Amino acid sequence: MNCEASILLLSAFVLSFALALSLYTIGGRISPRSREEKRRAGKTIPYACGEEPPPIKETRINCERFFIFAVFFMIFDVFAFMVAISYSAPAYLSVLYSLIAMMAVTLLIVRKA
Amino acid sequence: MMQNVLLMAFQLLIFPGLVFLILLAFIFEWIDRKVVARIQSRYGPLYTGASGILQPLADFIKLLSKEDLTPESADKLIFTLTPLLSLSLVLTALFLFPMASSHAIINFEGDLIFLMFILTLTVLNVALAGYGSASSYSVIGGVRSALQLIGYEIPLAISLVGPSLSVGSLSISKIVEWQASKGLWMILLQPLGFAVSMICLLAELEMIPFDIPEAETEIVAGWMTEFSGRKLALFRVSKDLKMLLTTALLASLYLGGAQQLGLAPPIIVFLAKTISMLLLMSLLRALFARFRIDQLVSGMWKYLIPLAILQVMLVCLGARG
Repeated sequence: MNCEASILLLSAFVLSFALALSLYTIGGRISPRSREEKRRAGKTIPYACGEEPPPIKETRINCERFFIFAVFFMIFDVFAFMVAISYSAPAYLSVLYSLIAMMAVTLLIVRKA
Repeated sequence: MMQNVLLMAFQLLIFPGLVFLILLAFIFEWIDRKVVARIQSRYGPLYTGASGILQPLADFIKLLSKEDLTPESADKLIFTLTPLLSLSLVLTALFLFPMASSHAIINFEGDLIFLMFILTLTVLNVALAGYGSASSYSVIGGVRSALQLIGYEIPLAISLVGPSLSVGSLSISKIVEWQASKGLWMILLQPLGFAVSMICLLAELEMIPFDIPEAETEIVAGWMTEFSGRKLALFRVSKDLKMLLTTALLASLYLGGAQQLGLAPPIIVFLAKTISMLLLMSLLRALFARFRIDQLVSGMWKYLIPLAILQVMLVCLGARG
């Protein structure tokens, strides 16, 4: 990555962020302010039609059943990157590598099913 | 020198830069809404502008001028920063695509990897937004969005590697150039990879078969529940831009992107290709119903990853064997 591209990339991000920020400020100018009495009217409590919303501490998501997928996710992220930069390597090596990865996925599917 | 800088500034700001991209994103939302409405025997947006073409812009301005409420329990910094980040990240990624010529404004070796980094970052941003709103619906939506990432990120990455393997470069501009010089579209060489990345990008967009993070029948609006006013407006426009981003990705990698076809200049060809991809996505969105999250994750690993790896192996054997 050359110097010019990195400057351009940085300036593109800065310009985009500036645009987002200016839209945000314009929105702040043209929208009504939230006043104190409104806050007391319950506008700033989480949305649940005026009911007591389900307490956040009890909202637990069962991520354990996806744990094995998460581990495989990490391994395969490396796999994708290795394949992506493999175009100068001999073809049989990439194919061999892909075959091993395919076997790993098959094992995962068989174990889960 | 001065002229170069001015030209660059024009390209970054006006065409094919920020102004053009945002207007195009609004038009894309209009097309999407109109097509889905027609498939469902509705009219879709009708009144603002000619057959409702200004409706997304009107919605955006309306949201900007609405009261911006921050829940008491929310993390103020995250709650303010995530809408800004979601818009600016997607806009930055859009500069990597060649639109007005065969070269993107920003092109360097490896920008495909950078693009995938940004796509992942937007999802993490969503998870952070859900976490920062501190409402149970938002938290559930954010976690679901991260879980969904575990499903579709790998097949997407592997199938996007396919075109770059054939070309021998990780730069989107070079992949587009290669297709133009060979007069051959990548979709003909790698139909499997195209199908896999199409499905994964639908999941990336949280469109209907995969709209698990914002399933409105169970968790209100998912991670977006607590956002209102200008923050919601920024999220909406960044979603439209993401639609543009995914269609541009498909069009550039698999349909030849911005190339000169006969008399048609690259920008017209690019628009035609992205809009055709958008029509396909809207069609899929209107046809399917929502999957369950375990169906999504295990289905992606069961079917899409083997298909994507198969595609990569075929490319290795065919293109360089």
